Amino acid sequence: MTRDHEHDHDHEDGYEDGLEDGYEDGHDQEHEGVRELLAAWAFGALQPGDERMVRPHLAECAGCAAEAARLRETVRLLDGPSSGVQPEGAPSEDSAVSLNGNAPARLPEAGGVLALALRSRRPAAASAPGIAPHAAPYAAAVSALQALLRELDGDDRHSAWGTPVVHDWDVHDTVAHLLAADEPLALRLGLDPCVPGTASPIGEDAGWADAWAVRTGEVIAHERRREARETVAVWAAQAAALLATPEARDPELASIATTLMGARLPVADHFTVRAFEVWIHTDDIGRALGLAVPPPPEPHLWRLVHLAVRILGTALGPDAPPVLFAVSGGAEEWVLGSEDEPVQAELVLDPVDFCLLVGGRYAPDEVPRGEAGDREAARNVLERAASLAWL
Amino acid sequence: MPVESTPDRTVRSVRPPADAELHRRLVYGDESALAEAYTAYGGLVRAVAARVTHSTAAAEDVAQEVFAQLWTRPYAFDARRGSLRTWLSMLAHRRAVDWVRSEARHRKDARADDSALHAIPDASPGPDETVVHRERSLQLHTALAELPQPQREVVHLAYFAGRTYRQAAVELGIPEGTAKTRLRTALRTLAETLAEPPDPALERGA
Repeated sequence: MTRDHEHDHDHEDGYEDGLEDGYEDGHDQEHEGVRELLAAWAFGALQPGDERMVRPHLAECAGCAAEAARLRETVRLLDGPSSGVQPEGAPSEDSAVSLNGNAPARLPEAGGVLALALRSRRPAAASAPGIAPHAAPYAAAVSALQALLRELDGDDRHSAWGTPVVHDWDVHDTVAHLLAADEPLALRLGLDPCVPGTASPIGEDAGWADAWAVRTGEVIAHERRREARETVAVWAAQAAALLATPEARDPELASIATTLMGARLPVADHFTVRAFEVWIHTDDIGRALGLAVPPPPEPHLWRLVHLAVRILGTALGPDAPPVLFAVSGGAEEWVLGSEDEPVQAELVLDPVDFCLLVGGRYAPDEVPRGEAGDREAARNVLERAASLAWL
Repeated sequence: MPVESTPDRTVRSVRPPADAELHRRLVYGDESALAEAYTAYGGLVRAVAARVTHSTAAAEDVAQEVFAQLWTRPYAFDARRGSLRTWLSMLAHRRAVDWVRSEARHRKDARADDSALHAIPDASPGPDETVVHRERSLQLHTALAELPQPQREVVHLAYFAGRTYRQAAVELGIPEGTAKTRLRTALRTLAETLAEPPDPALERGA
């Protein structure tokens, strides 16, 4: 629609009125065709073979010849003084490098440019020295949230920190929440709390969920009294400190199980849970700001999926009606629930959708899925998955 | 038991285009993705910058700025709104134009200083013709940088990346006729700016 309009409009712009006068009908088609090609011709962007149509026409049509000369002169001036006339035809990208100043056609070493780029404010997450694979998803998720928050630094978006995100939190509050949410693991690994108050490594006591909610409220209230940028700096510093602990670097140390927020898991898995939560909230913030947050890179995504399936299996227990569960793109299938009965249903979910379900971002009946067999058995799995959401 | 799949899932399971995958890794701080982007587009970025600045050193600086921005601000690129190739090309062009403009201002200041001292004759700018040509070129590149994005994209592919109008149309997912029309509208706009007086901020001093 828009495109057609654009096309029509061009013919109405009056520029070529007058130039077209005096041409016989038989000429018009060729004339129009060439006329449309003149800018591409001037840019050296014709299709092979078009030249055969253009050249003879220019020889006999003064209007087109004048237009062609004008357009090509414009391209010549665009080229600047040190380069000659634009070569005919289509130069390849490689030859484009050598068009001016005899620069070598070969790409200069990446080292200089990239080293400088990487030395800029953003540290590399994936290859951060010494980070063990179990902490890499968390490092990457932290890096992705920092990148997203950088979009709020611009002058015109000063109020963007107040954009409502989730629950009754704005962007600033959501970062404050993450500061609180990473705290139990930080304290368990021997770090000091960054915010005063009732900080504790929230563990196994039955009231962990309440304690966690209280602490989040406390931290958000505290952070609201300072600039969003300061909160981001404190959150990022705590994340960096977590990634600098021996447990983030040594898989053996990270294999020790500890109970945090009601879940007894190896420290390595607690790092995965942290990655999960940071990503889900980054996605929340991205949605609120209208910026599409891509899902974690495949290897990280699958780490999240595997942990979530394991936790889901445990939560369902050994007596639930068995369901054959698969995540699309993965090689594995799991029987969730009782192992003593025949499978009653099958479920297939996309890895991102499954994570969003477990993260509480999909209602169990709304999550896109492939489903077959007993509806009740399948629904039991989906509802249990959604109930895991502690984010 | 057949497992039916919902339309949503089918759509998402389509393999993401290379740009989106590269962008995903950049967002998550994977520096090997930056190296891949450089391998794929470093030549184009340098070529664009060299065409505008006529300086290898400046092109190097521009390339570094462009890839530093891709690294530190990956969200500035949105894979839904264009290709990484045209985005980087347009960013390099913008930066290169800024570089030349600031360079021109410095040169003017330097000349003003020189004439105040009644001393050193102007050494660098060659024959007058070259200087005029350089100013015309900058004027055109400034106008090019201000064209609407749909036109700029086609010009970048045709002029800097060496695509034919048909290749550009395929790459942008637009009809061939639209690509031709955009090229024509763009180049006419540029031709018309030549009739305007040069930017007063860039006129040669004294």
